[in-house]
Amino acid sequence: MNGPEAEIIYDPKPDLAAPRKLLKGIFQDLFFSGRELAWRLFVRNLRGMYRQTLLGMFWIFLPPIANTAIWVFLRSRNVFDFSLGDSAEALRVDTTLYILTGMILWQSFVDGLQMPLNSVSSNRGMIGRLNFPREALILEGLYDLFFNLFIRLLLLVPAFAFLGGSLHFGLLLAVPLIFLMVIFAVGLGLILMPFGTLYHDIPRFISIALPFWMIITPIIYYLPNQSPASLLNWFNPASPLLVASRDSLLFGGTEHVAATLVFGVLAIPVFFLGLVVFRVAIPAIVERMVVT
Amino acid sequence: MQSNQNILEVDRVWKKFCRNLRRAMWYGLLDVGNQLKFSRPSLPPRDLLRAGEFFAVKDATFSMQPGECIGLIGPNGAGKSTLLKMITGLIRPDSGQIRIRGRVGALIELGTGFNLQLSGRENIFINGTVLGLSKREIDRALEGIIEFAELGSVIDDPIKTYSSGMRMRLGFSVAAHLRPQLLILDEVLAVGDVRFRMKCFQHFNDLVQQGTSIVLVTHAVSMLPRVATRVIVCESGRIAYDGEVQKGLTIYEQGLVEQASQIGNRADQHWTNARIVDAKILDDAGQVRNEFQTGETIVLRLELECEQTVPNARVIAAVGSPGAETIASMSTPYQNFRFDLSGGKTFVELKLDNVPLLLGAYFFDVSLYGQQLTDFCHRRSGIGGFRIIGPAIDVNGNGISGLIKFHHKWHQVEPDEAVKKKRGRVTAPWFVLKLLLCDRRRLTAATTASAARSTGSAARSSACSTTSAGTGATA
Repeated sequence: MNGPEAEIIYDPKPDLAAPRKLLKGIFQDLFFSGRELAWRLFVRNLRGMYRQTLLGMFWIFLPPIANTAIWVFLRSRNVFDFSLGDSAEALRVDTTLYILTGMILWQSFVDGLQMPLNSVSSNRGMIGRLNFPREALILEGLYDLFFNLFIRLLLLVPAFAFLGGSLHFGLLLAVPLIFLMVIFAVGLGLILMPFGTLYHDIPRFISIALPFWMIITPIIYYLPNQSPASLLNWFNPASPLLVASRDSLLFGGTEHVAATLVFGVLAIPVFFLGLVVFRVAIPAIVERMVVT
Repeated sequence: MQSNQNILEVDRVWKKFCRNLRRAMWYGLLDVGNQLKFSRPSLPPRDLLRAGEFFAVKDATFSMQPGECIGLIGPNGAGKSTLLKMITGLIRPDSGQIRIRGRVGALIELGTGFNLQLSGRENIFINGTVLGLSKREIDRALEGIIEFAELGSVIDDPIKTYSSGMRMRLGFSVAAHLRPQLLILDEVLAVGDVRFRMKCFQHFNDLVQQGTSIVLVTHAVSMLPRVATRVIVCESGRIAYDGEVQKGLTIYEQGLVEQASQIGNRADQHWTNARIVDAKILDDAGQVRNEFQTGETIVLRLELECEQTVPNARVIAAVGSPGAETIASMSTPYQNFRFDLSGGKTFVELKLDNVPLLLGAYFFDVSLYGQQLTDFCHRRSGIGGFRIIGPAIDVNGNGISGLIKFHHKWHQVEPDEAVKKKRGRVTAPWFVLKLLLCDRRRLTAATTASAARSTGSAARSSACSTTSAGTGATA
């Protein structure tokens, strides 16, 4: 429902013809009109999601634990070469802790990337039949992402205690970096959303590409700050903020300052660009829902 | 169109779709791209369709004032739902403009946003928020919603334990407690049982009385006169009629009759020996007409022809309406009317005196047989369409309504007379009981008298059946 006394005009003019109105609408729906709906949807999903499971919220922890266990096992059998270049010694923490931290962050990046597409797909019925602030779905997805991330990060407390992680002030830097990483991933997901909703090849391709993408992201190995290895950090959008967040958590700082700064500064504009794409794409997508 | 009092103005709106899935996806991407342009692109002319596209809505224009309830009707694919989706802002027009002044509530499907694992109460909050109610508004309306849905005892049980009717009641109840200035309802009147449906109608009437405007899309058109103050009939994407409810319904039904006739024509191509060439509707004076008043005489004239002689042919003609299918069926053998079809054309007429049909569109389904029903010749469906255009009906209990007008008379019976009649009915068994209790002599005498009476009655009954057989023969 629209607010009282509002005059609404629907016509074919593109939203970007009036960019101020468009941005105002996005902010209004994301932070005001859609806030309560997002919270209710989040609580609904949380209550409903694990209600019919034996392990309950343990399912939030399971993917990074399982992935870490697999890679630690493979490494212990020397199936995978942990070193990249000659910097294996640069790793100053326990490898299990190193991989687990990377896995938790990677999982959040992947969840962020897939969230807009999954959200539109699972709320298809609602989007096609009701005119509500659609940004509420994104806000709900963000609540969900940060909640899961927080729960997963709790895993690091015992991991730090038992595997010898050290605490330092630089660890606080991880908070904004992780936030920017998630926002960046969601922004990319939002830009991909129209393509992925119209062409189901995109989500299929993403699910196939993810394992390879994970391998070229420095999660299970150390990334030296020397060319050509460091180029990986520049050409892999998942890498810079993930590496910086992980390094901040484990070492209190990162060697990859330039890439971190560039991608950190890019993260928020990418997120807002994603929101614009999401907003203007929804009517065209709803139209195709009629056809499909 | 420019009045400031209008709550809704739809101005020359066009919308195109593409049925080909692959093309539709590609056009979807192009449309998203067009929307992402900063400058206003030159909009494609509304008559310029890309390959595979068609117009689902063509040049729709209408406006609506507060307190109006518009019934938006039309056959499937007429563009009703597309128009509604544009009014609710779900999709954009390709040309034209929609202007809405006020708070809009739309109910395209009941129960959107229900989570089956959660309780009815939890779902009320979720569903209410999805429909735009604030927490305070939901808190205030909560008891009313539960009471309206009649789910007081099970409201804290998970929704998955509810029947589909219960879920619909809950969804409607949440929506019913919205207080929008414009309420848009798409096919939601089919909820629950008749009693609950009547309750919904009452609620709509209350809303309209309070100044809420309602746009109602439904195929259950017989219900419309209860709530609608105006009807818009859509046909092939265009607004074919906008105005008075009864006339709109008749036009809608006429459209259905014509559609059925076209389908029938395609299906009725095959015939053996003889065929029904044409059917005309005439009035009492033999003039071709297709609009009548209830109580007038209607004549169906059939033009038949044959390839080879068909002796003792028979015809069955059924009057139908889009809403009720067959209303009455009449055959020639019923009146011992037989005719031969031989060379050239044969005309047969069916005259219906004092037609009791009420407002609406009607048609004939006609079948032609030889001497036996197994000698099938030809069948034509949906032919001889005609409309009853008056007198007006009233569904609010102040007149007559339905399909047929009976010759009827109401009158009051005095209580004494009613009691007397009732006593008369109980006298016979009481008399038998008395007989059983009385002495043999009186019993014998009574039995003799009763036997004499029953003999007389049997004789009378026999005479009656002969008469009726005679009547039948005469008929």
